[in-house]
Amino acid sequence: MRKKLPILALTLALLLSACGQTASEPSATPAASPEASVPVESETPQAPELSGTMKVVATSDAYGPLFDAFTADTGVEVEVLSMSSGEVLSRLRAEGGTPSADLWFGGGVDSFMSAKDDGLLEQVTFDAADELDPAYKDADGYWYSKGITIVGFLVNNTLLSELGLEAPQTWTDLLDSQYAGEIIMSNPAVSGTNYAVVNAILQTMGEEEGWNYFEALNDNIAYYSRRGSDPSNRVISDEYAIGITYLDGTIDALVEQYDVTAIYPTDGIPWVPEGVAVFKDAENVEAAKYFVEWLFSSDEHLTQLAEIDQKTGVKIIKPDMEGVELSFDTSILMEEDLSLFGSQREAILERFEALMGDKAADE
Amino acid sequence: MYLELSHLQKSFGDRAVVQDLSLSLEQGELLCILGASGCGKTTTLNLIGGFLRPDGGQILLDGQDITHLPPERRPVTTVFQSYGLFPHMTVLQNVMYGLKFRSMKKSEAREKGLRYLELVGLSDYAGARIYEISGGQQQRVALARALIVEPKLCLLDEPFSNLDAALRVKMRRELKAIQRELGMTMVFVTHDQEEALILSDRMAILEGGRLRQYGRPLDIYRHPADDFVSRFLGLEELVWREDGSLLKFIRRPDPQEA
Amino acid sequence: MNNPVHTGSTRASLRDALVRVGNNGADRLLLLMLLGSICLFVFWPILCILLRSFAGEGGPTAQAYQEVWSGYRANLFNSLFVGAFTALFCTLFSVCTALFISTRRGWVRLACMAVLLISMVSPPFVSSLAYIQLYGRRGWITYRLLGLTWDPYNCWGVIWMQSISFVPLNALFLIGLLSKLDTDSLQAARDLGAQPGAILRDMVLPLLRPGVLVTLLLSFVRSLADFETPVIIGGRFSTIASEIYLQLVGYSDLEKSAAMNMFLLLPAVAAFFLYRRLMRRSDQLFLGNSRSRQGGLSLELRRCGAAGVLCTTVSLLFFLMMVLQYGCIFLSGFLKRTKGVYSFTLDYWNTLWSRDAATMGRSVLYALIVALAGTLFAMVFAYYMDRRRVPGRGLFDCLVTLPYMLPGSCFGIGYILAFNHEPLKLTGTAAIVILNMLFKQLPTTTKICSASLAQVPESLERAARDLGGSRLSVLRDVILPGLRPAFLSCFAYNFSSSMTTAGAILFLINPGKKLAVFQLFDAVYTGNYALASLMASSIIVIVLAVEGLVYFITWKGASRRVS
Repeated sequence: MRKKLPILALTLALLLSACGQTASEPSATPAASPEASVPVESETPQAPELSGTMKVVATSDAYGPLFDAFTADTGVEVEVLSMSSGEVLSRLRAEGGTPSADLWFGGGVDSFMSAKDDGLLEQVTFDAADELDPAYKDADGYWYSKGITIVGFLVNNTLLSELGLEAPQTWTDLLDSQYAGEIIMSNPAVSGTNYAVVNAILQTMGEEEGWNYFEALNDNIAYYSRRGSDPSNRVISDEYAIGITYLDGTIDALVEQYDVTAIYPTDGIPWVPEGVAVFKDAENVEAAKYFVEWLFSSDEHLTQLAEIDQKTGVKIIKPDMEGVELSFDTSILMEEDLSLFGSQREAILERFEALMGDKAADE
Repeated sequence: MYLELSHLQKSFGDRAVVQDLSLSLEQGELLCILGASGCGKTTTLNLIGGFLRPDGGQILLDGQDITHLPPERRPVTTVFQSYGLFPHMTVLQNVMYGLKFRSMKKSEAREKGLRYLELVGLSDYAGARIYEISGGQQQRVALARALIVEPKLCLLDEPFSNLDAALRVKMRRELKAIQRELGMTMVFVTHDQEEALILSDRMAILEGGRLRQYGRPLDIYRHPADDFVSRFLGLEELVWREDGSLLKFIRRPDPQEA
Repeated sequence: MNNPVHTGSTRASLRDALVRVGNNGADRLLLLMLLGSICLFVFWPILCILLRSFAGEGGPTAQAYQEVWSGYRANLFNSLFVGAFTALFCTLFSVCTALFISTRRGWVRLACMAVLLISMVSPPFVSSLAYIQLYGRRGWITYRLLGLTWDPYNCWGVIWMQSISFVPLNALFLIGLLSKLDTDSLQAARDLGAQPGAILRDMVLPLLRPGVLVTLLLSFVRSLADFETPVIIGGRFSTIASEIYLQLVGYSDLEKSAAMNMFLLLPAVAAFFLYRRLMRRSDQLFLGNSRSRQGGLSLELRRCGAAGVLCTTVSLLFFLMMVLQYGCIFLSGFLKRTKGVYSFTLDYWNTLWSRDAATMGRSVLYALIVALAGTLFAMVFAYYMDRRRVPGRGLFDCLVTLPYMLPGSCFGIGYILAFNHEPLKLTGTAAIVILNMLFKQLPTTTKICSASLAQVPESLERAARDLGGSRLSVLRDVILPGLRPAFLSCFAYNFSSSMTTAGAILFLINPGKKLAVFQLFDAVYTGNYALASLMASSIIVIVLAVEGLVYFITWKGASRRVS
């Protein structure tokens, strides 16, 4: 989801692409498993007559190599612009049915659900869609997931030892008053990741207990940043001891470079799928639709995507895919009913806003 | 002597603007410094006023060496060519401004201010803003403002150059009357030969930063020291009033201009 | 507007008359195009926002306003609170630095002007990051040097940061006014016995008063519209502008954010009319005496008592902070911190030029177009408004100023709303970005041109007409050349703003047509501070280089024409 350090990325990409090739070859030769051979066949011959450019709004610029592969296969040039999902949604609404991009790539699915409700997305169906876990895609094919984001803590070791504190290991630990003013979290309205935290904890703990939890947590939170990347940025720059943040390969890189530790809470990890969708009435709908099919029908492309994202969650979305192994145990993920993500969003954010505001008023 | 300039020197970079200038003036007299533009007359005025420091020489006023005093501590005031009035103040406030530094009660200062406005004939304009009055009126405000602090010496830098011909003649007469009435010592800079002749008790002709001739105006006109002075004055004829004062100065046509 | 031309022309031949009619026609066409484009590119987008704020599912509704009024009154109050304090502090800083610079000569003056110039052309976000690095909870200055434990993430952080970052433009404005002070007035005051302190108190400050009030007003309005600072360092504190941003990127609630903008528009319009009155007053004080000599301010601050000490201290503090801030930005691009240890690196440099070179080129191109077209537009606009007294000019003047008062993101959304359908479909093109930048910057450039036009005597224009020049040729031969000094300032302002302002174009920019400032925003957003700092430094260097070049060309061109 985030931009990575260039050198690290390059080595990783080289390493993994080598692995990817060796991994996909044996699956192709035996032709014994029908799941593996079907997408490979359905992908290459089916390429329809496509032309022009495909404009993409993505969460980062890093997807270049993946789109280059698409260009090589189809001849369609790809132009990418990075935007947060909230910005995309605002822009879509303002554009009033004449979207200036074709494909929406990445961002918490809650925004995709809203966009679908507003009628801003195009329905996409393709054969290989059946292989995707139904929990992670829209039943009508308006959006798909390209991976999942998991959430944990990033802690600053120097700061913690200066303050004489232990690193928190669970969500409940965060309520300890000794962490007061040292925790930073982004506003769930802005960050799909932190919206997932709120929704997942409400689902796990139950409505009442969940809200009590956030009331109590609010006392310890220094502030709710208005940008999704602030928590990790503030923690690495020694400003705050604990950040509630997504955990992926870019965070691992931070752990390498700075005196910080990523913590996977032992009482459960909230998660949110990252969406992929095609904009309704876009200029090059066909290319965008085909891209979705192109991506999900081929394990090779999905593997390449996983390498760029430095996330392995795509394996959960397409359980039978080869080339990617999960880097964490799925049992630590919180139980979440994704269908509630979209429908509850407005009510949850409204209540959360009131909760945050009370603290601001006290000051 | 009341005012004595001795051996004043001033250069800007390599250019000597005032060279070895010595002049003297009695109390209550009006000295005109006459010269073409660039002759160093305004620089001389700035040296007397304290806006420039001389490179050499001395300025004595009423027996006091003022050569190195800053302008705000010299008993000298100036009427500037552009008047330098304070646009954010009324006419009366302009005139009264200098009294602020002479520990005078507010009411007294106001009274004195009105008196000086009357002297220059502007009683009706005390509350007016500077940009609301005419050029001639601005000129009078500048004069009243300079005189109200009762300086030992008042400097005037081509004060009439921005006025039309008729007004200029009128203002000359008024200035002369006020100067006589107050017994004020004044140094007046101009490039206008007629103005110099009519106004001055003493006249100094400058050229290239040097004094060419110094004396009573009529003496100079009648007996120019050299060719330059004669050419510069270009006198053809003088027309006198019945009371013996000079009415008009008729110039010889300039051969170079024709 | 169409006065009969002077009597000498009655005898003009038929051909001349035809040419004149043609010229008058062209003149009217130009005026119509001018006013038309303002309606289209300023009024229409703002109207679209207004309409959107009343949009509801079942027809027009004021629900958004009710929500804002009931839910965000605290934000309104916060905005006013921050605006008031920012205006106060910023004006104090601006007046002090302007006086400090104006009374200095030589290298100190040059160095200070250079610092102001650099901060004028630097992109805003990076300053906030440098601010955190220097004055944050673990800032180099506050924590490591002074050992303070303080929290800058609150309203005082926002006020402080805004006050500092608005200083350059204000200070340059005041320095411009001070250079127009009548030298003779100041000498006259001295001559009458006023010590430097009294001159400062009785002359300089009263004369500067309308200008100072304008500074207060502009800082206030800018603070109301600024969302970047509170977003980055506001912590829990939020203003209306930061809430508008949140509504856009968090809730995607166009109606609510549109309604919030309308709340900002009211004080903004009031501010505009106040501004006009003040500027008229200031002009009276400075231009009332056409004979005055404008020799700049010669005043020894050292001898001005407490006020002088205050001025010098505040300015030195300000410049110290600026030097630290930009030192920090320039350095950050070449430093890498690994486990708390800093080392020199060229990694970011290489990344920048391998990946973003084309983007930089495109940014420079767009900025050049905006700078040229925008400056020309502003000059012609100023001419028609100030000299031709077009009916309804007050209204148009106000319209042109509105974009200054709105948060950039809002003006951007307005453009999308206004231009997303045929026959006005511009979304997705480069034109929408360029037009938006041009009209967003017009408020400032038209003011610069108006001020400069006031220096071109009307008699010159009459003389040209008297000699038989048409209105258009007067514009071409008299007005535009007379505005050459304004050209340079407008060009510089347009160019640097186009290179560094992100608010509006965040929503307008298109895939494949990225601009450097967008990349910069992205780098800031994703936390790549080193790359962001390096991009900011590069932008600063490019802007200064281009402006230097333009200055050189016009200066050379002008001197050649003279000789």
